[in-house]
Amino acid sequence: MADPASSPGGSGAGGETPPVDVVSLTVNGRAIEAPKGTMLVDAAKAAGIEIPIFCYEPRLGAPIGACRMCLVEVEGMRGLQTACSTPVAPDMVVSTESELAKDAQDGVLELLLANHPLDCPVCDKGGECPLQDRTFRFGPGQTRTVEPKLHFPKPLDLSPLVALDRERCIACYRCVRFSQEVAEDGQLTFQERGDHVEIATFSGDPYEGRFTGNTIDLCPVGALTSNPYRFVSRPWDIKNTPSVCAGCSVGCNLEATERDNEVKRLTGRPEPNFAVEEGWICDRGRWGYPALRSDERITGPVLVDAVGRRTVLLDRAVNEAAGMLGRRELRVAVLLGEPITVEAGFLATEFATRAGNGEAMVRRMGIPGHGLDPLRALPGAQMDDLDRADAIVVLGGDPCAQQPVAELRLRKALRRGARVAMAGPRPTALDPSCQVTRTTPGHLQDALPIVAELIGAAERPIVMWDEADLAAEPDAAAALAALIEDHPATRAIELACDVSGPGLRALGVATAEDMLAALEAGEVDVLLTIQADPTTGPEGARWSRAIDGVPRIIEMSTYRSGVTDRADLVLPLLTALEDEGVLVSMTGRAQRLRPAARECADAASAWELLIALTHRLGRPVPDRTPAQAFSRLAAEHAAFAGLDYGELGTTGAVIAQGRGAGAGGPAARRNPAGDGLLVIPCRPVFGDATAHRSDALASVVEPTRVGLAPAEAERLGVRTEARVRITTPHGEAVLPLEVDSRLHEGAAYLFTGDPHAGAAALLPMDGGPVRAAVGVAQREQVEA
Amino acid sequence: MPELNCVYRHREFGDHLTSLADYERAGGYLGLKETLALSPDDALYAFHRSGLRGRGGAGFPMGRKASFLPKDTGKPTYVVCNADESEPGTFKDREIIEHNPFQLIEGMTIASYAVGCERAYIYIRGEYEAQAQVLDAAIAEAREAGRLGPDALGPGRPFDITVYRGAGAYICGEETALLESLEGKRGQPRLKPPFPAVAGLYGCPTLINNVETLASLPPIMHRGPDWYAAMGNEKSPGTKLFSVSGHVLNPGNFEVVLGETTLRELIYDMAGGLRPGREVKAVWPGGSSVPVIGADSLDVALDYEALNGVGTFLGSGGCIVMDDSGCIVRASWRLAQFYRHESCGKCTPCREGTGWLANILGRMVHGEGRGEEDIRLLESLFGRIEGRTLCPLADGAVMPIQSALDLFRDEFIRVAHEGSSRPVPMTEAPVG
Repeated sequence: MADPASSPGGSGAGGETPPVDVVSLTVNGRAIEAPKGTMLVDAAKAAGIEIPIFCYEPRLGAPIGACRMCLVEVEGMRGLQTACSTPVAPDMVVSTESELAKDAQDGVLELLLANHPLDCPVCDKGGECPLQDRTFRFGPGQTRTVEPKLHFPKPLDLSPLVALDRERCIACYRCVRFSQEVAEDGQLTFQERGDHVEIATFSGDPYEGRFTGNTIDLCPVGALTSNPYRFVSRPWDIKNTPSVCAGCSVGCNLEATERDNEVKRLTGRPEPNFAVEEGWICDRGRWGYPALRSDERITGPVLVDAVGRRTVLLDRAVNEAAGMLGRRELRVAVLLGEPITVEAGFLATEFATRAGNGEAMVRRMGIPGHGLDPLRALPGAQMDDLDRADAIVVLGGDPCAQQPVAELRLRKALRRGARVAMAGPRPTALDPSCQVTRTTPGHLQDALPIVAELIGAAERPIVMWDEADLAAEPDAAAALAALIEDHPATRAIELACDVSGPGLRALGVATAEDMLAALEAGEVDVLLTIQADPTTGPEGARWSRAIDGVPRIIEMSTYRSGVTDRADLVLPLLTALEDEGVLVSMTGRAQRLRPAARECADAASAWELLIALTHRLGRPVPDRTPAQAFSRLAAEHAAFAGLDYGELGTTGAVIAQGRGAGAGGPAARRNPAGDGLLVIPCRPVFGDATAHRSDALASVVEPTRVGLAPAEAERLGVRTEARVRITTPHGEAVLPLEVDSRLHEGAAYLFTGDPHAGAAALLPMDGGPVRAAVGVAQREQVEA
Repeated sequence: MPELNCVYRHREFGDHLTSLADYERAGGYLGLKETLALSPDDALYAFHRSGLRGRGGAGFPMGRKASFLPKDTGKPTYVVCNADESEPGTFKDREIIEHNPFQLIEGMTIASYAVGCERAYIYIRGEYEAQAQVLDAAIAEAREAGRLGPDALGPGRPFDITVYRGAGAYICGEETALLESLEGKRGQPRLKPPFPAVAGLYGCPTLINNVETLASLPPIMHRGPDWYAAMGNEKSPGTKLFSVSGHVLNPGNFEVVLGETTLRELIYDMAGGLRPGREVKAVWPGGSSVPVIGADSLDVALDYEALNGVGTFLGSGGCIVMDDSGCIVRASWRLAQFYRHESCGKCTPCREGTGWLANILGRMVHGEGRGEEDIRLLESLFGRIEGRTLCPLADGAVMPIQSALDLFRDEFIRVAHEGSSRPVPMTEAPVG
């Protein structure tokens, strides 16, 4: 369970903690100490004494004392006290084992079980159920009830993703408090009274949100269970592995459940990483795992040669790759996408010196962002520093959709009384709760006075800036960096766009504009793509044409891409949930992936394949494992200096930030290319490739689409159209239209995500501003 | 007979003081006049000196409670009148509201002056729809006359009252659940501390008192706290309203000076006694949530201490009388069903325990008891509920049943073996 005492202090700067008074007290005859203000239950836990709890969960706010499980005897206090809400006091004498305390534990459990169906053998929670565990440890051996228990029809769909079994509910309020006080979606409540209480939404509609699955993790019984995981496994048939979500750049820690070599479930960590996600994960991260088994997964190596297109063994495929890459005169290019661990990135750079002419070009997809270096050089912060900030400005982007768990931290800051301002061109889920500055598209600098005002008046301000938006407006980036430098107490968090960017940047891997030019110029003989599909990314059409001209293409990828059908050789890769290595989060936290399963027998890790290839090329690297690769890269790259793979443990460590690649770029205002409306790229939470590939998320997946303000749609004559044609200098696409009054006029909001929809390909590679013409789609285009 | 109509002033004036003019003719607003001549602190001290105790059930000294409100917090201070009157057998506040609403309004004005409140609320039970209309009309009339509004406490010193109707939950008589409900949330008790005095309505300092308590203030302030304190005995001064119901021939409300009347006098002299040939079997003297007492306790004086002396509480003053035609187990079952229905469900022992008690007693009454085993189960269950809950509702569920078992053990054992026949209904009984 969450324990605020175990929350690490501010990992970034700005997290200085004031000295705390220590209180001495006695629990069960043992002298213990705890910081003043600690609740008895936490003080006892820190001393290794378990006081059973159900409703207590500090992450949900102040204790509510509802379940009465934690009743203890305190000398000098009348009756029994709830240890969850009684702060430690000097010389307090507490017993959790007195006859009275034990009777209370036994009694509360007996009462909790009075109407709890003993259907543990068919309950998903059975075997990992706090009610079971505590009953065994603290509860009665047998029941004294002879009356029939209350029965409800079961289960009910609280939402397509969350199942509700009302009989099992012990009314601990955790889910309701999560909804009301953490996600603040205001949807869950209790209905009815007494032993008839039941969880419901106020409206009776399904529970909707971006974080609903956390109620399942919080539920101490089998009342709330995951529909996609329903009856999938029993706890004794599974293995849980702590890993990291590769769904966005936040790097939430999670736990992956494996059975039969498949990832069957993802949950928040039972021991949260307080510096990152605090144990909360978003629904996309939680239910994205069925993507691992989607039709788009590449399940075996494919070789295309004179014989034709056929599946080959992995060993043969690696040999073929070595054959294609070995000749000394070959000019090789390696393009990295996401997710790529730093070990794979490092091994790719090593590989580049061994393949072909030994001077292979290694580049990464992503936004060049040359104008961002001054911002990246600023002192950074970790997510838990947001808990201590007194003012937070979000400039650009939409963390609620793009770095979802950040929204929960921002809400927490707001509850605490911190000033939070959101500035940018997009409407966000936080708008009703905080100070909002809706900037005109392309004019982020208009929000700088707000930033100045907030950080000027604050003692511990944090600015969260969006990588894509600031990259498109280098003048605003330069001004923002200067502004923050003038307020030295300010810390900055980059809302990064891609999962691999921060890590690969720290390794000095540059972005791929020059590679595209080289491909177009016919200067590349062999292209190796690793988790990269440039054909669906920015300027995808140009990439497609360029790739068509490359003599040999080798693809390493988990999912089929625009490169797959063009490739001479396809090597299947494992997903991040099956892989091992380190990902660096947007706050610079290096965290370890641990393989939870290996769903695809013929797939391999990028690091494995790269090591194998160097051996086949006769120029082997000395590494056998990601740990060895990491120790070499840590020795070679300053950003990772001093980090030890083993010591990263389960919560990671922060790399040295602000020393990325790139020599700084022009800070001049950039003029958008093209004609028409300024394009505002948006990445909706349930809109990404994972959400599209996961059948579990089918009920919430968001289409790739164009968003227009009503007046804008009117002006363009598309108000009643279901789909529109959108054209930029980089291509055109026909996409569904969404008219939304919260959107700005004068802009086309491009909601990207589905790799098949071709929306991202309309954007420029350099991340610069672009304009688009939006109009009625031709009939045949609609049908197509 | 030591009956004194102090809170029930209307009984001295033709039973109706529902217009402001009538109320003022009956000496209304003289208490406020005296109060406004004092400083707020002196007014608080007067409450304290009068010895007035909270009339809602707990009997906590009103002046002390008011003195707990922190000053100068930078937040507004609220006075909330608890008109939820949901304790079974209690209907005393209803008469104040229906017949003498201005005394409540004046009392709230006095209390608000003392604690610095500009906006007070009356939380009235949802079932009291007509009574809420009386209050609304009275408040409108007081506002019209300037007794409420921008200059209610003097030029430029505003005070006003809003009536808020509950939605029919017993638990909302508990002060923190009432505040939750008043804030528009689900009515459930809050964890204390903080107490409402410090963090009450909307987290602000809040004085919350029963209708009768607040309606006691005008005579106290008019005739002086010493006059009030001189009535009754030292620890239980003043007058108290009793609602008598059950197997009596003249049920109704009675205002008596504390300590000067016995329970026997209340039942036999004021409430008309019992049906011929019937004897008192059991009395719940302070609403259904207090321990039940038997016929041997009828000579107890009606004040806080004396009732404690016979093992029960004065409570709300809702005195429920049962004669020897009734089955105590069936009555206990009925009470248990009430508490099961009204348990809010927030904390475990109450949510599950009240239901289980009702189930066990129901089995016993219906002849499905298991004899001594059920008696032992009941006794063990009492201890697992009482004192272990978030609010006193469950204690109130246990106490009348536990005391009934103590007092009528043989009957419980018999019913646990044989079941219970139906009691003789009041309407079928020959009335003399």
